[in-house]
Amino acid sequence: MVAMAQVRATPKTYDVVVVGSGAGGGVAAHVLSLAGAKVCMLEAGGWYDGTKQSAMFKWPYNAPHRGAGTKEKPFGYFDATLLGGWQVPGEPYTNAGGSDWRWWRARMLGGRTNHYGRISLRMGPYDFKPYSRDGKGFDWPITYEDLAPYYDKAEELIGVFGTHEGLENTPDGKFLPAPAPRGYERLVKMACDKLKIPCIPSRLAILTRPIHGRPACHYCAQCGRACGVNANFNSPGVHIFPAMKTGNLDVRTDAMVRAVVTGPDGLARGVSYIDKKTRNEITVSAKIVVLAASCCETARILLNSKSSQFPNGVANSSGQVGRYLMDTVGADVGGYLPILEDLPPRNEDGVGGMHMYMPWWNYGEQKAGKMPFARGYHIEFGGGRGMPNPGDFGGSEEILGGGYGVELKRQLRRAYGAFVGFAGRGEMIPNADSYCDLDPDKVDQWGIPVLRFHFKWSQDEILQAKHMQDTFKEIITTAGGKYFTGGSAENNWGISRGGEIIHEVGAVRMGSDPQTSALNQYCQAWDCKNVFVTDAAPFVSNADKNPTLTISALGWRTSEYIAEQVKKRNLAA
Amino acid sequence: MADKSGVSRRDLFQIASVPTLAAAAMAAHAEPPVTQTAAYQRKVFNDQEWRAVRVLCDLIVPADEHSGSATQAGVPEFIDDWLDFRKQEDGNDDLAAQVLGGLAWLDRESLRLFQKDFAGAAVSQQKQILDRIAWPSRAADEDKRWAAFFSKFRDLTLNGFYTSKIGISDLPYLGNMAVPEWKGCDPAVWAKIEERLKNGYKGLGGDVKPWQA
Repeated sequence: MVAMAQVRATPKTYDVVVVGSGAGGGVAAHVLSLAGAKVCMLEAGGWYDGTKQSAMFKWPYNAPHRGAGTKEKPFGYFDATLLGGWQVPGEPYTNAGGSDWRWWRARMLGGRTNHYGRISLRMGPYDFKPYSRDGKGFDWPITYEDLAPYYDKAEELIGVFGTHEGLENTPDGKFLPAPAPRGYERLVKMACDKLKIPCIPSRLAILTRPIHGRPACHYCAQCGRACGVNANFNSPGVHIFPAMKTGNLDVRTDAMVRAVVTGPDGLARGVSYIDKKTRNEITVSAKIVVLAASCCETARILLNSKSSQFPNGVANSSGQVGRYLMDTVGADVGGYLPILEDLPPRNEDGVGGMHMYMPWWNYGEQKAGKMPFARGYHIEFGGGRGMPNPGDFGGSEEILGGGYGVELKRQLRRAYGAFVGFAGRGEMIPNADSYCDLDPDKVDQWGIPVLRFHFKWSQDEILQAKHMQDTFKEIITTAGGKYFTGGSAENNWGISRGGEIIHEVGAVRMGSDPQTSALNQYCQAWDCKNVFVTDAAPFVSNADKNPTLTISALGWRTSEYIAEQVKKRNLAA
Repeated sequence: MADKSGVSRRDLFQIASVPTLAAAAMAAHAEPPVTQTAAYQRKVFNDQEWRAVRVLCDLIVPADEHSGSATQAGVPEFIDDWLDFRKQEDGNDDLAAQVLGGLAWLDRESLRLFQKDFAGAAVSQQKQILDRIAWPSRAADEDKRWAAFFSKFRDLTLNGFYTSKIGISDLPYLGNMAVPEWKGCDPAVWAKIEERLKNGYKGLGGDVKPWQA
């Protein structure tokens, strides 16, 4: 947008350079430019504005292959991710022997906030002190009370719907009204009531009332295609464009950051990036560097920031950068509920996601030592009379036995809307076998050494996946249905591959001891005080609460700290 | 957000104007009407196979009082394109081989029994063959692989049909539009579910017993 090709000739020193434009980069740029700082944001992908580029209201038959997912567009033709996926052309990564990590990247302004599920769950008090509770993993250097005011701010800015429930370790927030449940959601709740599993209104960053000049949702269920009217949270529409109106924020796209540049005093001078359009390397000078390139990419930049003063990279004096990488545990079961057959046709779209969900309910049993695994999961579910996609009508013989002709059409009309799918999203405990480092040989097309991944689930996660499978089968059976699952003991209960849930966190963790952490409790590098991290890399654990809302809150807290430190002259600006 | 309810007067005004906003959003993002494109160029099926595919698709999804047939919905073209697409995406042509092999068997079997290829046989003769392979659990052992072919072909036909304009209206899927106010589950739908919870329900996918309150 703001081209500054002459940067070398007339170097401008910014107060802050922010690397990345997703949830973490967006919140830092927003808070700091509104506080008056001159900010430069660098994004490795292209420009994106969902209000102009969303594929909202298009039909499967408007797309090649009816909109099916491809290698270039894994989540389908209409998904908001224009350039990105499990592979990015010219930007490889590797797996060490035996590991099978998958790394999703979205190379576009706003990153993954353009297409994500908008699930917005606060971490609870237990989640910040997991080691103290069960002796596994590590404690955060902060408490829930430290972050609670920033959860408030984040929710009030981005807009999150939900209800006040007062459940254990499931903090309520500043909620907009929740949308009423769909029919199948009410039915599943009745089955959950029987099983004493809480089923409550979900908490999603989608507006059910207009706020801050953004309109309320119009219930077309297509948030994953980006919202054409800015009614869901996305970093460009909520963080970046309003910040640009201050005149304090410059945004440069196609800017692939290679390294943090440091001076002889051991402080950062800015960052160096490759302009993808010209392939020139350009340095942006800034008094403060904020990294929010996404968890693994931030670790990569730090590891690549080597100099005589930082032989292992910036923020890595402890050797912690890349360590304790985590994803979310996933497993799923499909269900067919005959009671939902042949209901009067209605529009069941609603918001782009679930209106109900099940938070973890076995804290007491775990505390009492009655469960075979340590941490919890929540349940997400979907179904109903949704937009047909190619693939949705496969395997009909599993229900109908087979057939063809007018009778088959009649049966399918009855069966449409009776499928409900359940997915668990659970906490992974950080382990020493799961980390990333620099591949000793490979580089990307920009000449930047690439990441090599090492990953292992532990028995805690595998047994959690088994519990998910058992629970989903029980819910489906209780609702009078038939279940379908590929999960068994042979495949570790269908547990997802590492990275597959796209909740990677950790790798540049915060802590209270510079020997065992890269960042202090303000996400400030212990060994380079004008470098901060505001994405999910500082996370010490990965509760089952999806990371984005905590990225927003933690990034806000870090950004306020930066502004205060500048005011107190502890940091230059 | 201005007051304790979280809704300011300005917000109330905006809520009142949501239908207008929604209509504007739809107008801005609506797809122009689909027009019939130039004749489809086949990538996989030859003329002989194409005749069989068209007949087979319409045996699976014929026109009825609700909607048109598979060929009217462009399903043969969808399948031809899909087989080529999977070849590119999967890096192998296993799916195309299964479909082409199944079509070859249909002709072979029809010639053996009726001395006509599958597309040229009478409808009753075509159905006589399909009745052997359209219900996998009933298929004779020597027909199992052709039943597996038919299940795959039925999947392709249904996926193509129900993602077409004709098929979407047949289900019917009634969304993909701006809704001014979300009201949750329709009372008529919930009444029906409650009635089934109380009295039980005999479903296609099994019987549901009455639930204990």
